[in-house]
Amino acid sequence: MPEHLVKSYDNELKKLRAMMTEMGGIVESLVAMAAQAILQRDSEAATRAVATDPSVDALERDVEQFVIRLLALRQPMAADLRFIIASLKMTGDLERIGDYATNAAKRSIVLSQFNLPYSLAGLANMFRLVQAQLKTIIDAVGTGDTEKAIEVWRSDEAVDDVYNGIFRELITYMMEDPRNITPCTHLLFIAKNLERIGDHATNIAETVHYAVLGEVLPDARPKSDNSPYAVVRPQE
Amino acid sequence: MSTTIQEAKMTDSNRGGVQVRSASAIGMPKIAISNLDFYYGTHKALKQIDLNLPDKQVTGMIGPSGCGKSTLLRVLNRMYDLYPGQRAEGKAMMDGQNIVDPGIDLNALRARIGMVFQKPTPFPMSIYENIAFGVKLHEKLSKAAMDERVEWSLTRAALWGEVKDRLNTPAMGMSGGQQQRLCIARTIAVRPEVILLDEPTSALDPISTLKIEELIDELKNDFTIAIVTHNMQQAARCADQVAFFYLGEMVEVGPAEQIFTAPKEKRTQEYVTGRFG
Repeated sequence: MPEHLVKSYDNELKKLRAMMTEMGGIVESLVAMAAQAILQRDSEAATRAVATDPSVDALERDVEQFVIRLLALRQPMAADLRFIIASLKMTGDLERIGDYATNAAKRSIVLSQFNLPYSLAGLANMFRLVQAQLKTIIDAVGTGDTEKAIEVWRSDEAVDDVYNGIFRELITYMMEDPRNITPCTHLLFIAKNLERIGDHATNIAETVHYAVLGEVLPDARPKSDNSPYAVVRPQE
Repeated sequence: MSTTIQEAKMTDSNRGGVQVRSASAIGMPKIAISNLDFYYGTHKALKQIDLNLPDKQVTGMIGPSGCGKSTLLRVLNRMYDLYPGQRAEGKAMMDGQNIVDPGIDLNALRARIGMVFQKPTPFPMSIYENIAFGVKLHEKLSKAAMDERVEWSLTRAALWGEVKDRLNTPAMGMSGGQQQRLCIARTIAVRPEVILLDEPTSALDPISTLKIEELIDELKNDFTIAIVTHNMQQAARCADQVAFFYLGEMVEVGPAEQIFTAPKEKRTQEYVTGRFG
């Protein structure tokens, strides 16, 4: 699109976009720290995540203030209005993603006290998927690329599938030996956090789509988290 | 389990499309304009305009200076007849009659289609006479009936309370906002069907502007309204339907919500976001 007749307005919109990508970048690094902390059993990474999270919260507040300012002073219309409202929504999603990542990272500290008798391959797979989703969607926020947004919107199903597998696997370990209950519960929460991160990435995808095209994606999105119905029975 | 984008779009359009979902529906046309051209001498100022003014709803007309929006209003009550060399071709149908047909009775037409201008234009006479003047041209009313008509139109124009004790004082002594509401009262006194407003608040302060906007909301219960405005927020606040004009063409028309949140045309998008250049 051509530039605004009022340059300062253009600069403000550029600043808002920069704030969004900065926030996205920090959130991406938080998820990477969580992965490092859990998969590499690196509790120092967990400490870094805990120290980083407040900057995400601060950015969220900054974005909220800035959006209110833009709405009040610029009375944005059409694509500008959609992008500004989208930023307000996306900053909330990013903040939640940051919280989930930090929470997952914290759990690695407890996990480090246990010898895990099983592989973390499922969780590693989930991290890979979620990190790829996040990278793609944050790029899409920066560039307004709706193809990428739809790609992320579609890809959440795969995250759900891995999550269902991990859910069943962890219940099985817990049934085998009650001493597994503590680490497995933490792992279950970590997996749930990742699944939620995927959901928020999908929300952002829907928001980007609306902001760029002015069309809302349908309510029903590809989703296959069926863990709420999962039953694993002990063998007789 | 998986929903394709195609299916997604279908679902959306089944609901009337996202933009239309919560916008008030656009009703049947009171005036249906089609293939309308207008010339100032050899200059073609309106090109093939197709636009409906929905009955008892407000149509906002926006666009940069010189885009043809005021010209279209002038066509609709045949103002251009006062100037030689100006002519319109095409159709603007109201109740089966073509407004631009040279054979139409202009006085009757202008009683049905009233117009309010940018600057308040009260006559140099009393408040009462300002209203009664136009009515007398079209109707013979008794004193009591005329009093009633004056009160009715001043009340409808949200001015009665402010002026009822000084109806015989000169209208020129009123504030700008009051004068403009007087002009609206004068317009509705002849009981038109359509009211055309050409930037009715551009010379008014914010409070007077809001009073006029409130009045427009009120008047659309009885009248079909078209308003030309340079103030986009005003079009957003007042209009059910908004039409965007550029260089004599009507680029896009749609529910106000659509034009200001998700216009379909690139030029509309650029204009409403302030990127025009």
